[in-house]
Amino acid sequence: MAEQRGRRSLLDLLLGAGFLGFFASIIYPVLRYLKPLAPQESAGALRLTREELGRLEKEHSLILRQGPTRILLFEDPEQRLRAMEARCTHEGCTVQYVPGDSVVWCACHNGRFDLDGRVISGPPPRPLARWLAHREPDGGVTVAPSPPEGRA
Amino acid sequence: MSLYRWLDKRYALAPLVDFVRHKEVPVGAHSMFWYYLGGLTLFFFTVQIASGALLLVYYQVGEQASYESIRFITTKVPFGWLVRSIHCWSAHLMIVSLVLHMLSTLMLKAYRTPRELTWITGFVLFALSLGFGFSGYLLPWNELAFFATAVGTDSVKAVPGIGEWLMQVLRGGPDVSGNTLYRFFALHVVILPLAMFAVVGMHLIFIQRQGMAPPLGQAAPRGMRFFPDFAVRDVLLWLLCLMLLASLAVFLPYGPRIPGVEWELGRKANPLAPAYPGIKPEWYFLWVYQLLKEFPPHLFGMEGPQAALAVVTALLAVWALVPWLDRRAGRGEASPEFTDLGAAAVVFLAFLTLKAWDIGGGGQAQPDPHAVARACAVWTLGGGLIATGLRFALLRQTWFIFTGAALLHAALNGLAGLSYLGAGAISAIAAAAGVVLSRRRRPVLAGGPP
Repeated sequence: MAEQRGRRSLLDLLLGAGFLGFFASIIYPVLRYLKPLAPQESAGALRLTREELGRLEKEHSLILRQGPTRILLFEDPEQRLRAMEARCTHEGCTVQYVPGDSVVWCACHNGRFDLDGRVISGPPPRPLARWLAHREPDGGVTVAPSPPEGRA
Repeated sequence: MSLYRWLDKRYALAPLVDFVRHKEVPVGAHSMFWYYLGGLTLFFFTVQIASGALLLVYYQVGEQASYESIRFITTKVPFGWLVRSIHCWSAHLMIVSLVLHMLSTLMLKAYRTPRELTWITGFVLFALSLGFGFSGYLLPWNELAFFATAVGTDSVKAVPGIGEWLMQVLRGGPDVSGNTLYRFFALHVVILPLAMFAVVGMHLIFIQRQGMAPPLGQAAPRGMRFFPDFAVRDVLLWLLCLMLLASLAVFLPYGPRIPGVEWELGRKANPLAPAYPGIKPEWYFLWVYQLLKEFPPHLFGMEGPQAALAVVTALLAVWALVPWLDRRAGRGEASPEFTDLGAAAVVFLAFLTLKAWDIGGGGQAQPDPHAVARACAVWTLGGGLIATGLRFALLRQTWFIFTGAALLHAALNGLAGLSYLGAGAISAIAAAAGVVLSRRRRPVLAGGPP
């Protein structure tokens, strides 16, 4: 009798494991299918197009895309070019440069950053990653990621 | 009749007819109105399915097509504006009716044993409805939709362990893009409706098997025949609501223009444009939006959004577990604490929602948060005290500890100038102390109807 019970529980265990394996074999491909492919990283330098240069000249700030990264590029009150990630570290909204207050502002939850991307007030938990903006001798502008130690 | 006989012979309809003939709705001391809200929510859901199917005839999904097709529907297609307006209005009215249904279920203790699973399926339906609202919001691919989705999907990052994976799965990439649009479209028109049908089916089966909850404390209440007495009243209410819906859709085709209750198409989403000032999610998400603003960058070793998500999850978990927490109602006894919990939840949500609307901010893009908190506290305290007075005078309720704590929270934050979380902590301690004291003095304090 005891031997029969032992066999039964072994069969139950095998059956349970079989069901688990069966579900896993369905769920795993679905989960892998749903996860998007990694974007092609292109974290190198970015040179502004003529059109973008025109907009920078006119509006004094613009948002660029380099691979998956959005970058805010603007001219500060001393006409120096500054660049930083445009994605707010709070909830991912796109920030903007407010020339009147000399701050970078996120309209979604009122996060405010200084011109180096450091948090001044509001809920953002981290500073905005800095990028390096450089005006070339030929008038062109390049934006490149800041070296790790230079990143805020 | 011969058709009936033909069907009866094959499918034995007699027990079903007998069930319908004998089905009754309990009549108690409280208003019957509360019993109609579930049916009304289902009615608005049916309108959603019908108007959604009509929108699908012209709607096209894609970064280059979604915005354009919605503009085409509203400006070129005959009555297209009406179909969209009905779809949007009905969505909002469905949430209103669902929230009222849930609150009345709480107030009447209809969740008590043996109807715990009816409450749980109702809670899941509430979550699915919010999912419908959130996924449908992106489909016009306008500026508002883009940022609302960016914030909403970013917040899931805070889920421990799988947050980043979940965000990527929702977005179809690291950022909100055309891929997100495809995924949300599938969610909105296929996955959520299927889930909704399944859970509505379970909810209705539970109600049919157990009947509607009789009023607390009345073992054998009077009954109203479901068919035709209750059903005809149900249909009358649906017709009235259909008229209300049609009037709203015709006279306010883009909503009442209150932030969170408007659906003007506006500008097309531009992933390279900054978020614009005054951007707000839909009204039923405003409290979460405001909570995200109130949390500091870091709290207890967590980032602010993570801590906010933990608090929201804890509050929703308490709400879902009410049938198990309220053991007194399960025994058929009055449980005024849980009536007051419902009232306090309304005060808590109202204060956050008013703040999210920047009431008292003078219409500025970056209003003074102290001025906003002050004005909102005054409104919340005014409304809350009047409602509490009415509960005392008309409903003879005497247990107000949770509502008192929610009002204290508003007063400390808005009038005394304490931070939202600091005021919340003091109010939570006050509420806990009040509960302990009330339990000691229970024979004196208990009483009054639930």
